[in-house]
Amino acid sequence: MPASMSLALVATLLTSPAAGADGTEVPPWLALGESGTAEDIYSAVPEVLTTTRLRQPKARVPGTTTVISGETIRDLGMVALADVFRLVPGMTVAAVGTNQPTVSYHGTVAYEQRRLQVLIDGRTGYLPSLADVDWNAMPVPIELIDRIEVSRGPNSAAYGNNAFLASINIITLSPENTAGTGLHAQGGGPSIRNYTAYHGHARDKYSWRVAWHRRESDGYDFQYDSDDAFRKVPIRDGFEFNQFYYDGVLQPSPYHSFEFRAGVTDGIDEDDPLKMGGADLGIQGEPDDEVRDHYLQARYGYSGLDKHLIEFQTSYQRYNRDKDWTSCIQLDGVPLPLCTSLNEDLQQQRLEFELQDTWELNPDLRLVSGLGYREDGYESETFFGGSGEIYQSRLFANLEYTPVYWLTFNAGANYEHTSLLDDNFLSPRLAANLHLTENQTLRFVYSRAVRTPDALEQRANWAYTPENVSPSVYQDLEGQRIDAEYDASSPVDFSGYYAEATGDLDEERITSREISYYGQFRLGHGVLSTEVRYFYDELRDLVAGIINVEDFDLGNRVAIDQQGIELETALDLGDTRLRLAYGYMDQEGRYTANDGLSVEEQQETLAREARLSVRHTGSVSWIQRYPEDWSSALAWYVADEFRSGPYQRADLRVAKSVHGPRVSYDIAVIVQHYLNDNPLLSRDNNYTDRNQFFLEAGVRF
Amino acid sequence: MGSCFSPKARMNITNHVRAPRLRLLASLVILVAMAALAQPLSADVVYLQGSANPTFNLRFTELLEAELGPDTEVRAFASLRTFDGPAGPVITLGQEALARVLETGTQRQILALLVSPETIAGAAENAGGRMSTVYYDPPLLRQALIGRVILPQASRMALLARPEQIGDYESLTEELADYGIEARVFVVTGDEALIPTLSRALSYGDFLLATPDNVIYNPRTIKHILLTTYRRNRLVIGPSHAFVKAGVLASSYVPLPDYAAEAARFIREWQRTGVLPEPTYPETFSIEINHQVARSLNLPLPDRDEIRAEVRRLLHQSDGEATP
Repeated sequence: MPASMSLALVATLLTSPAAGADGTEVPPWLALGESGTAEDIYSAVPEVLTTTRLRQPKARVPGTTTVISGETIRDLGMVALADVFRLVPGMTVAAVGTNQPTVSYHGTVAYEQRRLQVLIDGRTGYLPSLADVDWNAMPVPIELIDRIEVSRGPNSAAYGNNAFLASINIITLSPENTAGTGLHAQGGGPSIRNYTAYHGHARDKYSWRVAWHRRESDGYDFQYDSDDAFRKVPIRDGFEFNQFYYDGVLQPSPYHSFEFRAGVTDGIDEDDPLKMGGADLGIQGEPDDEVRDHYLQARYGYSGLDKHLIEFQTSYQRYNRDKDWTSCIQLDGVPLPLCTSLNEDLQQQRLEFELQDTWELNPDLRLVSGLGYREDGYESETFFGGSGEIYQSRLFANLEYTPVYWLTFNAGANYEHTSLLDDNFLSPRLAANLHLTENQTLRFVYSRAVRTPDALEQRANWAYTPENVSPSVYQDLEGQRIDAEYDASSPVDFSGYYAEATGDLDEERITSREISYYGQFRLGHGVLSTEVRYFYDELRDLVAGIINVEDFDLGNRVAIDQQGIELETALDLGDTRLRLAYGYMDQEGRYTANDGLSVEEQQETLAREARLSVRHTGSVSWIQRYPEDWSSALAWYVADEFRSGPYQRADLRVAKSVHGPRVSYDIAVIVQHYLNDNPLLSRDNNYTDRNQFFLEAGVRF
Repeated sequence: MGSCFSPKARMNITNHVRAPRLRLLASLVILVAMAALAQPLSADVVYLQGSANPTFNLRFTELLEAELGPDTEVRAFASLRTFDGPAGPVITLGQEALARVLETGTQRQILALLVSPETIAGAAENAGGRMSTVYYDPPLLRQALIGRVILPQASRMALLARPEQIGDYESLTEELADYGIEARVFVVTGDEALIPTLSRALSYGDFLLATPDNVIYNPRTIKHILLTTYRRNRLVIGPSHAFVKAGVLASSYVPLPDYAAEAARFIREWQRTGVLPEPTYPETFSIEINHQVARSLNLPLPDRDEIRAEVRRLLHQSDGEATP
């Protein structure tokens, strides 16, 4: 059978079960007939689907893609979603300011990640106005992760602006794979508690699941007092969220399929008064975010046209964050402090439409193309002085062509218009995959991408509006937005309490070249898979500066050249699974703007952008099964090193599972051991104990 | 043997020669008849009750005749309704054909082909010791070893079974332990429990061994089973190569010519001893692989002949007399 057995041949075999004289004919009454729809089956095979939007085996993917299964994540005893990305070479995970993790690929992060595309079951997962990702409140329980694909390298050709350095695609388990009932609890460490419960049914035409997830954490243990640098004080950076989800899959006929998803998040995301950056707001209360998020998503697929699969997807997401507190501020030249209620309320929403056609002319010539529309909206009196929208529309396509068995070409591009810059952008990608053998491929990839600034970077109009003002001498401030215009007419200096973006930012650009190798080998009683990536990236016009109310200052100021090599290899011996990921990167940044900043300030800006850039990243994991359904997992994560020092953590999980004929359950102990006391990125990110212990239990029936 | 009349046929002919004056004429008639029917009358006969599919019946008959050679005639079983033909066993193709033959109350030996072992077991009670078969469903041990060879790192295998079948897999579980495979049975208590049970089974097993149980694995359920399994990055082996075409990764099977050859061996054994051999699996088998699924799962596969050779080696390594 040739290496690329055609679907057409499969279809022929299906329709003529008794045909053929090669001995493979099936007695007609033992054949499955038309009900065995092979096409649908193939679509379930977890090929890489993030990189080009085509389902592709790794050998044909135009770029390096890390695929981490939900099973691996659970076997390793992950307790926080962002920790998963420690398994990806080149990725760093750290909390820049508070307990909110930030994930980067190759760094270039000052505060929040802005240069990654994050998708959750196909809908955009980063916040509409800040391009940041709220990993703590993300509506994805670890228990319900199917797999996570990380397409390493620019991927704007498939997903548009913001898929600048990499794209993350989180895929949750289909309702069919969780049919039945499951309960899971995990707790320990810094008061982390994760609870998940789900129930669902899988039937011929309709499968569904409802789930509840509760996630709690107390965050770091202590920080240092701002007045006394050696005094340890508690830090208020915990969170607690309740989430409810519904997932449904409806297939009324073989050609039509519908997916529906809905979710609600309700909870509190704590913030510490000492950690709210910028101006001294004299916060007296608890400046916590009240989180009220929800999303709706629908997808329709039609496969009734010859060689075409038409998909239409729409989603609506709403992020409501109410954050208010009482401040008593000592204003310059005024004897009495101003006490008032302030807020950083922010409502954001995103509406997306996407129409996509996958056209398979033959197994060696496939085209995916489509168009998308996205509307990001925001409303915040404090951050924007009102509301605003950003409209994006785009066309995308990727052609996969295998002219000879040893060569596959991919050519893709995205053409996008964004109202934020009122401009059009083209992001192309070209790749050639040389299939050295059936299981070894050498790739050459060239891609260009852009990132347009987010709403806060471009349109920030940051000012507070006091309410419940006291003492009465400040009554004039009641309900008055303290912005530049007011400050100009006020005898009191409010200049540190408002900021406005210049609005003249341009797009960031990246040109990336990749040479990578992917190979799989049968090794004794196991399978060894290896992927090596060399990259050389040129990043230009990166937006850099400071985002806070006191010193807000951003510009297209930085250029970075970076190159490196990354290795990801896994050996699966059945009872033993070994995995190694290592990334090495040389990054060289330079200040390119001519804006009068001193050399020291320029260096500081460069250093700030490199907060999450490290030379060595890696992880080693060893998952072992033992008789009687015992198992263990040992993992070591390293990032060497951040400006504040290296990150090194070793995890151990020991689990006992019971697989009964009618019920399965498991219990586990997890230990996280930090190899040093080094507080990462901030001296306030401290745990009192370098050993964190967790217990875990689950049951399914 | 081929040129002899059966005793019964000889007696019938003798009874028809009564008057001495007609002896010469009768002798001439007999000689003419013998000349005309020389080929059939000199051959052994087997009777075939085919399936409802004439194309398949024809194909199988051709293969069987090619194996049996010109000395054995394959006649339609229906011919016995009008003429009590020569001795010879009855071959049935499929369950329906077997039922029809049993309904006639025939006392001939029956070689029931292309039916499940359960059907044979049930029918054999009614037919006494007159029935045998060449198994068509692949033996589960061989199927499990295919999984092991394709996925050499696999050490855990999951099976789905109805509550009343749990005991059927005990011996298989014990045999597989010798090959380093820990097999576990997950009980499907009803339609509603199928996917939840499968989901749990996939948490345990490195691959799923699909058994020829058409209550669990049938055209209605296979799609959901495969979707659920592949989404979990697991494999399904079996139950038959018909399922490979529908998306199962691999299954062994007996190519139809080989199956017909084994059936012919049974017939020759009957011709030699008058008794059909005990039911058995054919010695030869082939393996069908769904390469598209393998590629999608990033599964490096040996050539199917290599897989077959390795499965044979494993089978014979454990027990020189193991059934292939």
